[in-house]
Amino acid sequence: MSFQAAYQKPLPQILPETAGFWEATRRHELVVQQCAACGQRQYFPRLLCHRCLSDDLAWAPVSGQGVVYSFTIIRQVLHASFAPDVPYVYAIVELAEGVRLIANVVGIAPEQVRVGLPVKVVFAEVTPEVSLPQFEPV
Amino acid sequence: MSLRGGSAIIGYGETVFAKAKHSAGRSPLGEQCTAARLALADAGIAKDEVDGLVAIGPLDHGPSWSMDLAEYLQLRPSFLDTPYFGGAAGNAGILHAAAAIQAGLCRTVLLVGGSVSQPGPPAPHGVEDSVSFERDFDTIFGPMGDNSAYALIKRRYQHEFGAGEEGFAQVVVNARRHAARFANALLTTPVTVEDVLNSRMICDPLRMFEIVMPCTGAAALVLTSAERARDVRQRPVYLLGGGQAIDRGMWTPAYGREASLTTSPIKRSAASAFAMAGLTAADLDFLQLYDCYTITVIVALEDVGCCAKGEGAEFVARTDLSSTGTLPVNTDGGQLGRGQPYGACHFLPVIEASRQLMGRAGALQVADARFGLANGNGGAMANQCTLILGNEIP
Repeated sequence: MSFQAAYQKPLPQILPETAGFWEATRRHELVVQQCAACGQRQYFPRLLCHRCLSDDLAWAPVSGQGVVYSFTIIRQVLHASFAPDVPYVYAIVELAEGVRLIANVVGIAPEQVRVGLPVKVVFAEVTPEVSLPQFEPV
Repeated sequence: MSLRGGSAIIGYGETVFAKAKHSAGRSPLGEQCTAARLALADAGIAKDEVDGLVAIGPLDHGPSWSMDLAEYLQLRPSFLDTPYFGGAAGNAGILHAAAAIQAGLCRTVLLVGGSVSQPGPPAPHGVEDSVSFERDFDTIFGPMGDNSAYALIKRRYQHEFGAGEEGFAQVVVNARRHAARFANALLTTPVTVEDVLNSRMICDPLRMFEIVMPCTGAAALVLTSAERARDVRQRPVYLLGGGQAIDRGMWTPAYGREASLTTSPIKRSAASAFAMAGLTAADLDFLQLYDCYTITVIVALEDVGCCAKGEGAEFVARTDLSSTGTLPVNTDGGQLGRGQPYGACHFLPVIEASRQLMGRAGALQVADARFGLANGNGGAMANQCTLILGNEIP
């Protein structure tokens, strides 16, 4: 396992309510929060359930299987650290379990990406603390 | 208490818009003070009569802007507001001001916004200052600011409804055609559908001409009670209806199956506005739609009720949206034709609606215009504020 020498892109801050998510991605597992009171699954992680406001939340594993819901091919960067990746795909992925995530679609030429493309999660180990969920074609 | 007919726009003003590279020596305070002076002069209202202030500052300024501007202009308002939530903020400020007027908090409100555009690429949304969930679950994947947010909406729209590119390009063609004949516009070269399709792909599927150009400028208007408006210089433009709606957050469609990218809260904000006004989409003589990107015009036309969901792109392609057409839209050129001075852009739809309803639109005048709609859009279509205006109270 080798980490990118000096990762220049923005990194997430690990907060109390999001630490469980990032601990899971380090293990190459994708989890979402599930409300013990009403059963709602939600992403991104929050301090409480956005449906019933309960704070009784647990981490639920998800398959990591999904489809591209929408995407854009970024051809001109805003944050200079992404310049080496251009063109790259910034997308919404809808998981089989119903939640959607923003992530990159990798392992495919950007021009080949389509809405509805079946994808599965992969993990990019960008620092010792952070592995980012990404998606590649099934 | 309804806001229907209780207040009226009686004057407006704009500074001369300028591209970023021609903005040396201009300042946000200077822009806004100039626009305010022009609006008050247009309305024939003395400064001392202003007892309410709604001011939208530059993006990098905090929400104390209305206090700062009140001090700079030495106003003595009894009602202050700094609406600070993207492109819906101007129309929302008008609703706040109208409610304040009818509640007796004030009588005559100056509304102003504007900023100075700096040359070079816009600063990326700061990792430090964005809300934590945007920073931690979005920014890390390299979005391109608003461009990528609207690109996601356009892509999904094209997927759900099989829409091609022509309708999107026609939005730009219409904007530029109007801008070419409008005095205070920066993108005055008419374009064809082919020109739009040949413009550089920036954030696929968004091309250069579909993306608004930031610029320098300010805009202001004066809203007063309907009673005071009986005796003013210009023909009063009455606020007949208004509504604001946030049915989803900017990022919500990215996180939950229950939310749509292609149906906007305009459905609810427009329904509220029409219900208050006692009018329907069929009564409108024109629409002024916040057009930071082509997709907003297409989705707005659907959600206002001018055409069915999913037919907006085709509707635009086969409908004459010019000032003399069957459904005039963005008769000043919109932001796609004029440029986008942040803060001022929030007021441009309602100012153009006022220009039309006062009968002062010159070569771009919509004949016999009585009722019009102005829509403000913020937060990648998450936040919508719709106003219905008229030069009579039906």
